[in-house]
Amino acid sequence: MTSEAKSLFTTLEREALICGRCGYCRNSCPVYRVLGWESATPRGKISLAKEIFSKGNSKALTDEFVQRVAQCTLCGACAEACSTCIDTRTLWLELRRRIAGLGRTPKAYHALRENLLAHKNISTFSNDDRLEWAQDLEDEPEGLELKAGAEVCYFVGCVSSFFPQAAQIPLAVTQLLMEAGVDFTTMGGEEWCCGFPLLSTGFADDAREFTRHNVSKIKELDIHTLVASCASCYHVWKHECLSELAGYDLEILHTTEYLARLVKEGRFALNELEEVVTYHDPCDLGRNSGVYDAPREILRSIPGIEFVELEHNREDSLCCGGGGNLQSVDAELAAEITGLRVEEIKETGAGIVVSSCQQCEQMLSTAVRKAGLPVRVMDISELLLEAIG
Amino acid sequence: MKKSEALRQIKKLCGERATEARFECALYSRDLAPVPALLVDPLFKTVPDLVVCPTGAEEVAEILRLAGAAGIPVTPRAGASTVYFDSVPARGGIVIDLNLIKGVLELDEEMMTVTVKAGTTWSELERYLNARGYAPKSVPSSAPASSIAGWLCMMGYGIGSLKYGSLLSQVKWAEVVLPDGEIRQVTPDTDPPLAWFAASEGTLGIITKLNIEIRRQTPMKHFLLHSRALSEIAGVLTAVKDAEITPYNLHFTDEACVRAMSRQGIAPGSVDSGCLLAVDYEGSEAELHRAEEMITALVTGKKAVSLLPGEVAEREWEERYKSLKLKRSGPSELGGEVFLPVSRLENYLSDIKRLAGRYGLEMCSYGHVATPERMIIMTMFFADETRVFEYIMDLSLVKKIQDVGQRHGGYPYGVGLWNTPYLGRIFKVSELEQLRARKKKLDPKGIMNPGKLYKWHPMLNPFNFSLGMNVLAGIRRFVRGGGRG
Repeated sequence: MTSEAKSLFTTLEREALICGRCGYCRNSCPVYRVLGWESATPRGKISLAKEIFSKGNSKALTDEFVQRVAQCTLCGACAEACSTCIDTRTLWLELRRRIAGLGRTPKAYHALRENLLAHKNISTFSNDDRLEWAQDLEDEPEGLELKAGAEVCYFVGCVSSFFPQAAQIPLAVTQLLMEAGVDFTTMGGEEWCCGFPLLSTGFADDAREFTRHNVSKIKELDIHTLVASCASCYHVWKHECLSELAGYDLEILHTTEYLARLVKEGRFALNELEEVVTYHDPCDLGRNSGVYDAPREILRSIPGIEFVELEHNREDSLCCGGGGNLQSVDAELAAEITGLRVEEIKETGAGIVVSSCQQCEQMLSTAVRKAGLPVRVMDISELLLEAIG
Repeated sequence: MKKSEALRQIKKLCGERATEARFECALYSRDLAPVPALLVDPLFKTVPDLVVCPTGAEEVAEILRLAGAAGIPVTPRAGASTVYFDSVPARGGIVIDLNLIKGVLELDEEMMTVTVKAGTTWSELERYLNARGYAPKSVPSSAPASSIAGWLCMMGYGIGSLKYGSLLSQVKWAEVVLPDGEIRQVTPDTDPPLAWFAASEGTLGIITKLNIEIRRQTPMKHFLLHSRALSEIAGVLTAVKDAEITPYNLHFTDEACVRAMSRQGIAPGSVDSGCLLAVDYEGSEAELHRAEEMITALVTGKKAVSLLPGEVAEREWEERYKSLKLKRSGPSELGGEVFLPVSRLENYLSDIKRLAGRYGLEMCSYGHVATPERMIIMTMFFADETRVFEYIMDLSLVKKIQDVGQRHGGYPYGVGLWNTPYLGRIFKVSELEQLRARKKKLDPKGIMNPGKLYKWHPMLNPFNFSLGMNVLAGIRRFVRGGGRG
């Protein structure tokens, strides 16, 4: 079950009963692959969810169970493997929402929520500083902030906006848009977190406040094309804002989709890059949103690049470990999951691993550095910019 | 040795790969079968005292030596993808989770064999081999979960068996840890021979490594035939099975199943009635061409049989491991898996239809041909495990399905715990005596997976079981009503 297919999700109670405990999800789950216990398998967690919610055995709602539910990257690999077509990603979100509703949310989630409600972003910085990264642009484009009626609004995302190590991404995207002569803007300080961290920690109602705000600003600015470089932001815009966007014409694209379009239109003069490159599919862009071809089209359009696939790719891709807010509750587990992916990167012999999600890029960069691999980790926009020279 | 001391030493041996935590152990007390605690708990201690995840044969051997010294029951477990509690403890003790004993050790392209560790799943092996231009000769229909050794410990028939035989016939040798802790490499000619471990359900030792024959990965051709007449499709099934070119896979779906799929919106080619027969070939292009000619000729000669579009047949093949998808109509499913003579399919289904009518429900049947003589047919119906008493009454109908199977020369596929009341149907007296003698020879202390395969629990003796199930079925019919028949 990918997001491309229609979700068959009914209720947590019923889906937990539908699970056949076949265990197809077991080996696809990155968390199980690291932890190795039955309680870490999707079927194990659903089995307990069935006891608690479908059969009303509240005693089964233990701290261990809450921890296991939090130990999930929401990568969606289990949904892909499920023999009964359970949209498990929705199931995990609902489970976290129920746990939050019962007041059993992990402490780390509360801290995250409080920070988000206070700052409207996942950092501790003021939201007014959202465009600080733009100071590194040689020429700041006109209308970078809140330009009404712009052709495109670039939704930067919290990580790119506030974390210096990810700042190269908005810088690259901005330069590419300028190079292609696109009339674009950003929401500046009016851009709030997309809401994904709240949604994925069980605070769906709070998340709704964030999506409502962002949608209302987009409408106010009379924007009709939105481009996001963060796979999770993109997923939220594409799949979680449907009711807010009802009746409003907004094309939502990931940067890979928009840049692939610009490449196809011949808006860039691409130089040769003699590199062996592999591509890591971010879960929220690939498996959970169905975008696989656009990034590959970009890579194949750059002359000189030898593109090699990772062993697990497209629908079958392995998570980088950075999803589902796992880092906030179990950073060590997240890093071990990244380690599995790095092993595959090593096998390809590629000199560059490209992704299209700042979280993936951060996770992979740290792990590649730790493993001492001579591999550069880049966002696809950075590589494209390099090809322009 | 005292039990506590043995457990202490095993925990020390495995370190973080051992747990006694109730939260964890409880999850090892079930497989696919949602049998109500009300029925299980009074008879069996299914929650283990300890779960360990060894990483190799030496560790398994040490665990078995210690467990043997203290008389602690040991239950091996990997995919736990059966419904008979084969890998669920009946008397507590230790569960040995074999999932860390995983990976391909050697691909011998000259001998066309692969050496693979026990806990590797069939899908993982398939993926490894396919990447190198090879494939397993056959795979279980639960390949994404089923482990290499687990399938051998069951009967080892599945997709590809019709063409290449049972898994046992493809295994060159196996590394087995015997109950006394001795590590042996067994072949068809050793004492004990390899065959003893096939379908032994983890009761004679723990397999840690296997050397298996493989095949070259060749092109495939898929056909999906549809007919409103069961007799027509059964005729085609027999003709295809006995033809000069043996299909790699031959899978049948009955009318009730097609209707249920149609209601759920997942019927291939949007058919809403009739039966389906999936015929899949692998081989050289010339072979595939001849197979296509044969199928075309067969269909051309039968007006009541049609060939669904090629892309529908291919999609059906891609979905070959997902027979559980119908469970969405449940939420629960109950059923019986019967090793049935192919020649009795029509009569079996006719009696199943009558049975379903008698109890006022729909029974869906599907399955694949495993050998030239027999097929593994699953007959299932929908239930709701949250309605415990109704569900228990529904459970009685599983026996009724097996009774129909028996009338047509079939018997349950696999024993485990729940099919022990049918031991007399599955084995002849002499066969059962032979099996028990093997058990006594290799596992005199009876520590390996006790409660399974050889003997029923006193409460599940065939007379009690039969009486209990028949009474429940009668009550069900009386309370919930039935239909014709």
